[in-house]
Amino acid sequence: MDTVIEFKNVTYSYPLTDVPAIKDMSFAIERGKFYGVIGENGAGKTTLCALIRGFAPSFYQGTLQGQVLVEGKPTTDFGPGELSLKIGYVFQNPFNQISGVKDTLFEEVAFGLENFGVPVDEIERRVTEVMKLTDIWQLAEKNPFELSGGQQQRVALASIIVLKPDILVIDEPTSQLDPEGTEKVFKIIEMLKAEKKTIILVEHKVDLIAEYADEVMVLRNGKLIRFGDKQEVLSDMSLLDEGVQLPQMAILGNKLRQAGVPLDTIPVTEAQADEVIGRAMQKGRA
Amino acid sequence: MWREKLELHKSNRIAALYPSCKFLVVVLYSVCSLLLGSIGVGEGQYSLYLIPWFLVVPALCVASGIGPRFWKAIQKVIFIAALILVVQALLIPSEKIVWQLGFLKVYESGLRSGINLSFSVMNIAGIFVWMFQTTENREIARALENSGMNYKVTYVFISTLQMIDVLGKNSRTIMNAQRARGVETEGNLIVCAKAFFPSLVPLILGAITNTEERVLTLESKGFDVQCEKTHLFNLERSGHEKVVDVIAIAVTVAVVVWRVVLWIL
Amino acid sequence: MQPEKKKYSIKTDFSMLAILIIPIAVAVNFVGGQLASILKLPMYLDTIGTIFSAMLCGPWVGAVAGALTNIVTGIANPVNFAFIPVNIIVGLVVGFLARANMFSTWWKWIISMILMALASIISAAPIAVLVFGGVTGSGTSIITAAAMAAGANIWAAVIGTEGVFTVLDRIISFVISMLVIKVIPPRTLVKFGCGEMYIKKPVAAAAQEEPADTTESK
Repeated sequence: MDTVIEFKNVTYSYPLTDVPAIKDMSFAIERGKFYGVIGENGAGKTTLCALIRGFAPSFYQGTLQGQVLVEGKPTTDFGPGELSLKIGYVFQNPFNQISGVKDTLFEEVAFGLENFGVPVDEIERRVTEVMKLTDIWQLAEKNPFELSGGQQQRVALASIIVLKPDILVIDEPTSQLDPEGTEKVFKIIEMLKAEKKTIILVEHKVDLIAEYADEVMVLRNGKLIRFGDKQEVLSDMSLLDEGVQLPQMAILGNKLRQAGVPLDTIPVTEAQADEVIGRAMQKGRA
Repeated sequence: MWREKLELHKSNRIAALYPSCKFLVVVLYSVCSLLLGSIGVGEGQYSLYLIPWFLVVPALCVASGIGPRFWKAIQKVIFIAALILVVQALLIPSEKIVWQLGFLKVYESGLRSGINLSFSVMNIAGIFVWMFQTTENREIARALENSGMNYKVTYVFISTLQMIDVLGKNSRTIMNAQRARGVETEGNLIVCAKAFFPSLVPLILGAITNTEERVLTLESKGFDVQCEKTHLFNLERSGHEKVVDVIAIAVTVAVVVWRVVLWIL
Repeated sequence: MQPEKKKYSIKTDFSMLAILIIPIAVAVNFVGGQLASILKLPMYLDTIGTIFSAMLCGPWVGAVAGALTNIVTGIANPVNFAFIPVNIIVGLVVGFLARANMFSTWWKWIISMILMALASIISAAPIAVLVFGGVTGSGTSIITAAAMAAGANIWAAVIGTEGVFTVLDRIISFVISMLVIKVIPPRTLVKFGCGEMYIKKPVAAAAQEEPADTTESK
């Protein structure tokens, strides 16, 4: 198992608070897999992301017990900028991710590469490629301040993707977007999955997590209450009592089972529901 | 290929001057303006030299190819300058009255300080308008970086300029939107205050709390990394900088000398 | 127990957070100024940003925010160039007062406001009189001019009009800044150089019970 991120008995409190935001969490993230993080508001999902990326405790201060290891090294041991190349981070608010010093999108996306001293020819090539992939190439000459939220979020993603990190931490990227914006963002995430990046995605839209994730982490009150294969976790009806939302297909599947329909598994995605219900109907005919 | 798009091939040679050269022109022009303002002409010792000196600005702007834009920007300044002139001339009493129409009296000292002040304001504003209208933000950014300034200082300066640009463009839109929503933009003081202040605190608060994420975003994009940074945009000297520098310095020296001579005489 | 006297240095004052607050402070000053002139208020409202940035990050950051404001707005209205020192002084005064914890109780506020207003008048009046002859083209100028036309001595006219309005302006700006700071959550305040002073006592007491192995770094 190629572990790329590891939490060992991590407890973390923000400064001036007496209740820890994360309590005694331990888990391991494997390279190349897609992890969905779900849980109600205040459960600690954003704190989790901040810990992985090392923003906590270095920027947020506060108290950290236990260890957060990235590729075997504690996050606090990395120099400035080192973690940026390994772990890309996308925030919720698209507006906060604009650099504020560039007046065209092309330069905006190139900003990170310029800071890292990448040769100019390569910058041009990479930025062009990434902008085409994230569907913002046609906006190349626009001022970043003049874009819609959805467009700005794609720019934020592009600006991070262009740095070619292997790991991506994405914190509720679509919460401030409309359905069309959400769809476009998820197309990009799909593409990242196809490139076998390690992805940690926090999302409330459980149905989308069900589509893309390999494994799911469920947080409640700062504790990790479930960590495992997507299928197992998202079809576990007991989670509903823990304030967690489950995919619509799972809830439907459960209700069908309770009504007597012989489903062999509770589906979590539409495609799966198709199969499972199909099989159940075959049984009915046999 | 995209880089060539970025590279500003300015057809106008004056507009294409390197920013530090333009800045030198601005500074020297202002110095000359202040010197010329101290020369009194005629009985009332009016700073009349400021008036022809001011003509340099629109001439420069037209020569730089930004005539119409300059006109738009300068209107506000002209208004303020006119206001200063009128208020000073009409309302600051002194013994000598230069002209009288009914009860409107134009006082000499007021007229003198009014002319001096209003044209000084126009001169200095004008030359700055010229510089900022012929120079893009990214040119200023590169020029600052090239001069060895700390990248954080450059960042503060450019992000402030950018933000003011955006705010300036949007403020009219915002005002119109508010007006359309029925928010009182005219009316007495209390009404305006009631409309304006409650929305200000959350706005500022939002801006401050968003700043945290901004810091992290910059860090994620390698802002803090200590290495040689590369630049997509290349700023080149147009080649005429030396000529312009020489002319500007020569003119300034001439003005200084003239001023000193007049002072001695 | 009084916390240890904090050691300040220019380098720590200008943390990334402070650097990013500066454009916001300038923007707030700019918008305030615009609004004041559109609404034809006899005030400037262009120091709100300077004040809150000085309160949060100290005198040098406040001074830079103030100076930058007048430099940038001066491009459109060069009258503002002349008043750069005024905005800088507001930043310095408020910042040093903040470091000396002069905003913690209500009577300290009042003293601070008076000091700030005095500093502003002392720095602005000479500029208004000596450079501009009392009339700067702002909303107050008409009133000043009327006072002078009525025969008042130029210094009296300026201090009486601009002075009064400056005090009013600073009080309002200061109140707005205090309101903003009161609403900032403690965990954000901690990141600012002078932020700790504005955190309410009960939470600070709880912080004393934190476990011994604190990993604190900037």
